[in-house]
Amino acid sequence: MIKYIIRRLLYLIPVLLGVCFIIFILFNLVAGDPTAVLLGKNATAAQMIELREQLGLNKTLTEQYFDVVKSAFTFNFGHSWSTKQEISQMILRGAYPSLCLTLPAFIVATIFSLIIALVVAFYRGKGIDLFIRILCIAGVSISALAYILFFQYFFAFKFGWFEISGFEYGFPNFIPFVALPGIIFIILSLGPDVRFFRTVILDEIYQDYVRTARAKGLSDLSILLKHVLRNALIPIITYVIIQVPYLILGALLLENFFSIPGLGGITLNALNSSDFPVIKAMAILSSVLYILLSLFTDILYTFADPRVKLK
Amino acid sequence: MKSLVLVVAITFLVFGCSKENSFDEREINLISPEKISGFDPINASDKYSANEAGKVYEGLFEFHPLKRPYELIPNLAESLPVVSLDGLNYTFKLRKGVYFHDSPVFKQNIGRELNAHDVIFSIKRLADPKLNAKGWWILDDRLVGLNEWRIKNSKNEKTNYEEEIEGLKVLDDYTLQIKLNKPYPQFLYALAMPYTFVVAREAVEFYGKEFLNYPVGTGAFVLPKFEQSSMITYFRNPKFREKLYPSEGEEGDDKLGLLADAGKKIPLVDKINVHVMVESQPKWLSFMKAKNDLLEVKDVNIQQSITPDRTLKSDHKEKGIRLIMKPMLDVTYFAFNHDEPIFKNKKLRQAMNLAFDRASYNRLFHENTAFEAQGPIPPGLDGQKKEFKNPYIKYDVELAKKYLAEAGFPGGKGLPTIVVQTRSDTVSRQQVEFFEKCMEKIGINIDIGMNTWPELVNKVTKKQHQMYTMAWGADYPDAENFLGLLYCPNQAPGSNGANYCNPEFDTIFKQATVLQDSPERTDLYEKLNEMIAFDVPWILGFHRTDIYLTQAWLKNFKHMEFNHSQFQYLNVDLEVKKQLLNKF
Repeated sequence: MIKYIIRRLLYLIPVLLGVCFIIFILFNLVAGDPTAVLLGKNATAAQMIELREQLGLNKTLTEQYFDVVKSAFTFNFGHSWSTKQEISQMILRGAYPSLCLTLPAFIVATIFSLIIALVVAFYRGKGIDLFIRILCIAGVSISALAYILFFQYFFAFKFGWFEISGFEYGFPNFIPFVALPGIIFIILSLGPDVRFFRTVILDEIYQDYVRTARAKGLSDLSILLKHVLRNALIPIITYVIIQVPYLILGALLLENFFSIPGLGGITLNALNSSDFPVIKAMAILSSVLYILLSLFTDILYTFADPRVKLK
Repeated sequence: MKSLVLVVAITFLVFGCSKENSFDEREINLISPEKISGFDPINASDKYSANEAGKVYEGLFEFHPLKRPYELIPNLAESLPVVSLDGLNYTFKLRKGVYFHDSPVFKQNIGRELNAHDVIFSIKRLADPKLNAKGWWILDDRLVGLNEWRIKNSKNEKTNYEEEIEGLKVLDDYTLQIKLNKPYPQFLYALAMPYTFVVAREAVEFYGKEFLNYPVGTGAFVLPKFEQSSMITYFRNPKFREKLYPSEGEEGDDKLGLLADAGKKIPLVDKINVHVMVESQPKWLSFMKAKNDLLEVKDVNIQQSITPDRTLKSDHKEKGIRLIMKPMLDVTYFAFNHDEPIFKNKKLRQAMNLAFDRASYNRLFHENTAFEAQGPIPPGLDGQKKEFKNPYIKYDVELAKKYLAEAGFPGGKGLPTIVVQTRSDTVSRQQVEFFEKCMEKIGINIDIGMNTWPELVNKVTKKQHQMYTMAWGADYPDAENFLGLLYCPNQAPGSNGANYCNPEFDTIFKQATVLQDSPERTDLYEKLNEMIAFDVPWILGFHRTDIYLTQAWLKNFKHMEFNHSQFQYLNVDLEVKKQLLNKF
């Protein structure tokens, strides 16, 4: 297993080189010259030339690409071009509110979805199954924005149960601020999660071993919890863990509407101001997270299914 | 399962826990609709960064908070400068007894007295090539020796602040002299802008790259450390000098209660909370819940605030909310790229102007609150005659068709499809779609080019467009700031994104910009404004209106275009707040 982990970690190198190449090409060939945006509406031609020099945009493309690669492997992203803030500090400070919002909501959403999926799988084809499926489809059909506007207006403004917007650092200060967006996050996640988990569980329910278990006289509930759920875990683990990088990168709409100073807003600002170092840092960070979590998923498979061997 | 119960319990525990309004302190709550990136004055180029910088830093001058038209008054300067007859030498006397905020950058953490060296250092910082400040344009090629110093230091490893510059001299601790290389009538405005706010050299050197997070100024409020958050809290500067609330304003200010605090020492509140809120709904709901004291009303909130006849809605009146509507010093326009051969055809430009239905556009996109622009200069500035009517600012499809035929494109035949570049947000797209429909009526085909802001700026600065949409807000109250948008030497990548070149216009503009405020200069501005009206280098849009709602307990707020120093004058009436809060 150690060898496998080392090999998978080594895959990081070509993947990061590829990510660097793609963001470098996109920035240099598609985005164009950032100096006019960075200097504001009164930028002069001379200033733009000076700034290009200072930002290293006059270096050869190869040199610029190696600068990107260097920062990817050293994790030293320098300072933001637009805010002049240190990027590592921006990310650390932004990751906290993003995670305060998304992580608890994600855990609750996953647990709820799994429970609901088991229930509807248990009662498959019956009224409750149909009702929940309709709810799920209706849930995913409504725009996230509609939920946000509705919940913020009624539960925060009209009933005054929650804060309308804002954020405070530190536990438990942040709870009143993330409670409502967290609930919206859960509701938004339930639709797709329940449908996916239900499908996976139903796939297992029709397997031979379920029939055998029934023949042996095990109860449906016991079969569902002890056998079906365990065998359905591999696709569920994959689905759940792959979502984790997105949690860290924040939930942009929720962050914007609830004024949570998370990473979603930082990324959007960077895109709107051609702030290449921040865009680069966020792209590299998400790639590394994605790879590490894929590896973690593979390791979890061995626990979920002893037949899986990592070679 | 236990953990699930715990999470659910915590979630429900917070039900009913939204924070109540506080009456313990004299605090005001404001909104910043944009994220603040830092507190370095030399980069405070947008209105919202300038507003935040203005709470902790100060300049030599500021705009009178009540008088209109805008009047410059001394702030860190003791008085207006003594200016030589040729208008090139300015001698400034500094106010004594102005201290920087207490900070670890000073000996024993106690803020020291401001002196003339600080002013010179702050100006040199603005010119520092290593910092490439957004505000450099206000001094670029203005002061004797400053550009040479900048060029020289751009080649050095480190900027040499010790080197003397002929145009910047300290005469004594409280006196400095600035020498211009040509008359610059807007110079004092430059010294009231955030870019020239005075910083302490010790703070710049102590914090280095982190300076932007540790504002150490002389202003009415203190912010020990800035961190990206959803709220910025400023505290009253306990050592702020004896600065008094003005005892005179413009006519009517007395009736509005704006002189009730006349003669009182400012600041009048202990604390300012600035809530960073980007989206319209939370801003609106938060104001309507009395969590904020002032709301800049935009977009969808306009309909929620005012009636079609532009008065405050009755349910807001019952809560004591006040409405303030004032024209902005700005202009919106559709710019032609004059480097494109087709737009050298004046009749075509005039035809397109006549086909633009401004009344419907105003109703659709500005709730009828904007004013049709008769020229680039907004009303309220010298150069825009009240009675002047632009002959091409009318909606006349038949006349537009006639002009189009005279331009050589009868019914639009022979005219290629014109691409109008705009931003990719919904409103910008809808605005160009409306324009497209107007042009369709005379046979002109329009395509929409959707861009992110960086893409749009890039296309304009590289002249890779046929037309684009833009709005320009005043940097200072002088028509030169608007007319410069059509001055040939300013063409892209400068602010003349239309690349308009008219030698006659340029000659008069050059004459006007070296004149001090005078009837002669106003005449020249008016001439330029009318020249633009007839030559149609842009399709003029609107001068928009600033709409504010204030809570009844917020005192001393008056609409101000350049309001970065205004917050020190605000006050709160806690009795009124207590009485009215039950209505929210």
